[in-house]
Amino acid sequence: MPATTKTNFQLVSNGILNENPIFRLALSMCPAVGISTTVMNGLMLGIAVLFVQVFSSCTIAAIKNYIHPRIRIPTYTLTIATWVTVIDLVLAAYVPAAYKEMGIFVKLIVAFAIITMRLETFACKNTVSASFWDGIGMGFGFMFGMVALGFVRELLGMGTLLGYDVLGFRPLLFFVLPAAGFFCVGIMMALFNYVEIVYNRKKRAR
Amino acid sequence: MKQIIRITVGLTISCLIAALVMGSVFVITDKAKRHNEHVNVQQTMLGLLGYSTSHPAPPELKLYSIYRYIFTDGNVNTLGYVLPVLKGGGVGYQLMEMDLDGGFVAQYPLDLAPEDASESAERSAALRKAIKPPKTFSYADATIVAKLGEKRLAYLLPGEFPGFKTFIHVMLALDPSFEILGLEITEQEEDPGLGAEIKQDYFKNQFKGKSFKKIKELHVVKEPLPEEYKAYLESQKGKESPIPKAELDVIRSRYQDKDIYALTGATISSKAVTDGVKNMVAKFAYRINRLDKVISARNIPAVF
Repeated sequence: MPATTKTNFQLVSNGILNENPIFRLALSMCPAVGISTTVMNGLMLGIAVLFVQVFSSCTIAAIKNYIHPRIRIPTYTLTIATWVTVIDLVLAAYVPAAYKEMGIFVKLIVAFAIITMRLETFACKNTVSASFWDGIGMGFGFMFGMVALGFVRELLGMGTLLGYDVLGFRPLLFFVLPAAGFFCVGIMMALFNYVEIVYNRKKRAR
Repeated sequence: MKQIIRITVGLTISCLIAALVMGSVFVITDKAKRHNEHVNVQQTMLGLLGYSTSHPAPPELKLYSIYRYIFTDGNVNTLGYVLPVLKGGGVGYQLMEMDLDGGFVAQYPLDLAPEDASESAERSAALRKAIKPPKTFSYADATIVAKLGEKRLAYLLPGEFPGFKTFIHVMLALDPSFEILGLEITEQEEDPGLGAEIKQDYFKNQFKGKSFKKIKELHVVKEPLPEEYKAYLESQKGKESPIPKAELDVIRSRYQDKDIYALTGATISSKAVTDGVKNMVAKFAYRINRLDKVISARNIPAVF
């Protein structure tokens, strides 16, 4: 893939819509199924991924010319692990309130497919600034997916939103269980695809 | 060959840079991190004793930590207590060794400053100086005694026990007659919406006010939580409650000796917490009675 010709805005919207990590690329499904039980969990993991993705993308874009092509995967892993550790330590030291909520999620990010994939397909071929905007787009796209899933699952499973009781009862406890994560992701994915088909059809008709 | 060297050098340099970055961030942040953890524990403890920012703890309130170690010498196990004692007008630490039947074995002076006692590395260093090999030691647990003036106000017990998924870490507060003053879940990874509800007021406050006698035979019942009891439990957080105080007292006396109502869909987690708490209280009551006996028999100038 040659260097991107997209504008910064296109890069961001590409991450959120066209190449949404969860609904379009179907990457990082583990957290999408396992952690998106509440809006808060989704938001926290989304923020953590956003930071790691942006920092890792920029780092790899900056050093891309010095990486031996045969050992790029270990270098990516090392970069991600370093940033995850740094963010974990800094949060624990200076933002204890956020760390209390996010602590267990941050460490999980080391193994996220979406971050490695963006480094491999985008950051190692593009400039630092393009990688930065791509990272922002992917991070927000992931966050959007997690929050959307969390919204549905928390509302239907626990009758609450962000911990506040909105329904006053629990419609279907099933939705907070891991199995329901698969259903929610599937239905959302179908919805995403359907919207795209309708949109393209209208575009052609015009 | 040239390729091998290039790859080796490249990866080594990457690893070195990564290690340098992580190492320096660790050094910079470590102190603040430990401070935060300390503040966090302190807040949990004061919260359990009923103090908050709007109702701060009086200056006479003192928290003393007792650390319990297990000593091993061949096949013989003994218990080692690191005790805060009066030392030259201030507080110092002393090591007291006790056999498993509660008999006194020996006491050793400890070179441990009070401000270092909460660091496990500092304690280990002091213990290593006091005990001679082949005797080895391993850390067992800690107890915090809260004293208000000359009176023991409460015991604070940090503890952990297996839950449904991973270990549940708790902090339990007991009054001197081993009645539960409060329970706080400090760390857990149960299922959200199910087992994770153990940290909600309507579950953990059920333990509040259970007497020592009741705790010994505490069970979990699979019955829906009565509405009035739920309202009462959720009012127990220092917030203004819509229920008048007289009515709260009536509800409290009505449910005082009831068992623990299980969480919907999380009987195992509910049972794990109940059994864990039961266990902690029973073991602690046994241990502290023995410890107190030895301390008064040997005239150890313990401050707690």
